Amino acid sequence: MFGLNKIIPVEPNINFLKLRKNFLIFSIIAIFLSICLLSIKGLNLGIDFKGGTLIEVSTKNTSIGEMRDLLSSTYNDVSLQEFGDENIILIRLQNKSNQESIETVNSVKELISDKVIEFRRSEFVGPTISSELLFRGFQAVSFALIAILIYIWLRFEWQFGFGAVVALTHDVLFTLGLLSILNIEFSLSTIAAILTIAGYSINDTVVIFDRVRENLRKYKKMELVDLFNLSVNNTLSRTIMTSLTTLLALLSLFIFGGEVIRPFALTMIIGVVIGTYSSVFIAVPTLLIFKFRPQDEDD
Amino acid sequence: MKNYPIWKSFTVISLVLLGIIFSIPSIIYDDNSDNWFLKNKINLGLDLQGGSYLLLEVQLEVLYKEELENFSDSIRLLARDNSVKINKVTVNQNDIKVIFDNNNKIDEIKNSFIQMYRGVGLIVNENILTIKLDDLYKKTIQDSAIKQSLEIVRKRIDESGTKEPLIQRSGKKRILLQLPGVKDPERIKELLGKTAKLTFHLVDDENAAALNANIEPFGKMIIADIYDEDIKYLLDKRALVGGENLVDAKGSFDQTEGHAVSFRFDTEGAQKFGKITSNNIGNRLAVVLDGVVITAPRINSAITGGSGIITGNFNAQEAADLAVLLRAGALPAPLEIVEERSVGAGLGADSIAAGQIAAIIGMVLVCIFMILIYGIFGALANVSLIVNLFIIISLLGTIGATLTLPGIAGIVLTIGMAVDANVLIFERIKEESLKQTKVFQIVKTGFDRAMSTILDANITTLIAAVLLFAFGSGPIRGFSITLSLGVIASMFTALMLTNFLVYIYLSFSNKKELKL
Repeated sequence: MFGLNKIIPVEPNINFLKLRKNFLIFSIIAIFLSICLLSIKGLNLGIDFKGGTLIEVSTKNTSIGEMRDLLSSTYNDVSLQEFGDENIILIRLQNKSNQESIETVNSVKELISDKVIEFRRSEFVGPTISSELLFRGFQAVSFALIAILIYIWLRFEWQFGFGAVVALTHDVLFTLGLLSILNIEFSLSTIAAILTIAGYSINDTVVIFDRVRENLRKYKKMELVDLFNLSVNNTLSRTIMTSLTTLLALLSLFIFGGEVIRPFALTMIIGVVIGTYSSVFIAVPTLLIFKFRPQDEDD
Repeated sequence: MKNYPIWKSFTVISLVLLGIIFSIPSIIYDDNSDNWFLKNKINLGLDLQGGSYLLLEVQLEVLYKEELENFSDSIRLLARDNSVKINKVTVNQNDIKVIFDNNNKIDEIKNSFIQMYRGVGLIVNENILTIKLDDLYKKTIQDSAIKQSLEIVRKRIDESGTKEPLIQRSGKKRILLQLPGVKDPERIKELLGKTAKLTFHLVDDENAAALNANIEPFGKMIIADIYDEDIKYLLDKRALVGGENLVDAKGSFDQTEGHAVSFRFDTEGAQKFGKITSNNIGNRLAVVLDGVVITAPRINSAITGGSGIITGNFNAQEAADLAVLLRAGALPAPLEIVEERSVGAGLGADSIAAGQIAAIIGMVLVCIFMILIYGIFGALANVSLIVNLFIIISLLGTIGATLTLPGIAGIVLTIGMAVDANVLIFERIKEESLKQTKVFQIVKTGFDRAMSTILDANITTLIAAVLLFAFGSGPIRGFSITLSLGVIASMFTALMLTNFLVYIYLSFSNKKELKL
């Protein structure tokens, strides 16, 4: 009809695995840098995991500078930030004991009340809760990874499971590394984003692996490298299409979804790109480590 | 229609219609309707409708300490009854250690103590008696404290006029509160922040020496004034009557004293109060609230009517709040707020508006893209996508799920991911069209081949979503719900609805060859 689908040839023949060494080196460097960043710089933990107080206000006839002057004379650990709009200001206070924090919130609110149209949001996470949330988030991600792996292992041969683990670990670490370098806030919704990325990346990998398995049965004589290449090519237009539609939806969320959801959308966009990349360039080449057929011994 | 069973068409059409019909209540969103059908609408989470989420922790340590002090008092009494001298009592974190002068009567004391407190562990070592607060005993204290706290919190929240609050136990020692539409969470926090333990004690004005030396004689305690910490009172430790005997309390205004709280005792309380006041005319009676003296008026005459007023430097709000607290009763232990998330109605409305725009624009972009790539087939997939959205909304409404901001993000994400199943099918059809010539056969093979891939691919996403639900909290759960529903709905719409639409299209267009 419109013929746009012809951009991606029906039977593409791109040699994805030819450059696999380059991509492997690229990914190893990226992962190494991510681990360095995570251990040195760390993540920009939001109050969910660091604890503390956050107040979002819409203001009138004032500026962030004036608000800062007003508050920093009384509180030395206060930080202010415009939030999407110059009239909307985010005030963060560091963590203290539970009781103290609640009292601080009250007095901050009183101090600025004549400059404020509305207290849009106020969040307080105590020290015990933030460490619990961090632990539970970590638990959720670990269990999800393990459960996904068990599923892959049951549905495919174990070698595929290994390829999936490598790709998935790659995705999570790479995404976290980018979150660290871009200083994107790490909150509860980031955990949700990471889990969804894991699900998405595996989804992508599974579709390609499905095809690898099918082709392994179909072309018993084909060289493994060629067979893997063929499988990636077979599924290429689907991989591109699904990534693009997902990215379109995420982009819409990023631009129009509001300030609160923006870090989530950005994390997801990063993750979808990395997940798509890893399915093709990491997961599939990893399978080359294994000999799937007796005759491969001769190679 | 060729090759298409009637029962299948019927199922597809009725499911689609159900999806559309049951999304109506959520789309109209009539707040006040009592209509059974219109009630099947989506619940908005606190982050979308505005409201407060509070997590309170019962300070059990206070209770444990109190219990240990009770032990210590009882042991002193028992020692006195048995005429044994106590050299030293040490109250530790989990036990108390009593060193007696000798071990003559230690077994008798131990046995009488066990009679008083069942389930407490005692260890005798020569003349030292150790009383342990073991885990089982602590658990009994904990359970009853949480149960009582829940009840009191519920009463206080009800008194504050909050509509449809959700109050439930969370974990071992926490209470979770969801208060939709609360505009002033500060007042609620204020109401929950007080234990509101009210007791009446006689003031000992004789023993000024003890008061000045700040030493509490046995059976007495020194307590400060609420307004001036330097003013101290020496009081009888035993409360003569307490807040548990109150039946009513309300804010009132007294010409001479200003704002006050007037209260009424139940029969038992009134009798006790009458007796105390008639026996102690001329003495002072202290009103103690949460460890401070509010007022200590002199008893001028016997009060037998069972009612009275508490005065202090209250303003109207303070008097009213104190009355609420007294009516609701005292908390067994103080509550500490460990987490709070309050969202104003303005931000909630903004979030809904932004979420709607993002969903609509995301939808339009994906639809345009699908038509550009797959033409007519893309348009058919778009019908599925739109129906998919209706189905998600109707499911959210009928199962009574709560839609949160991350939940909206989940819906938008689903819009992007839901076409995946359609794409998988179309790509298979495209491939098959190179190998076969019979149109219906191509379509059938395409759907069949794509089926197992679709299942594998979606189940992994579902696993992630389910675990997110299990370990996530609050708003994040909303995300996992919409994501799971979206994934499930997308499998249905792709495998059944798109399939149905493709068959209809092919039957009517009479195409002899398939070009995708």
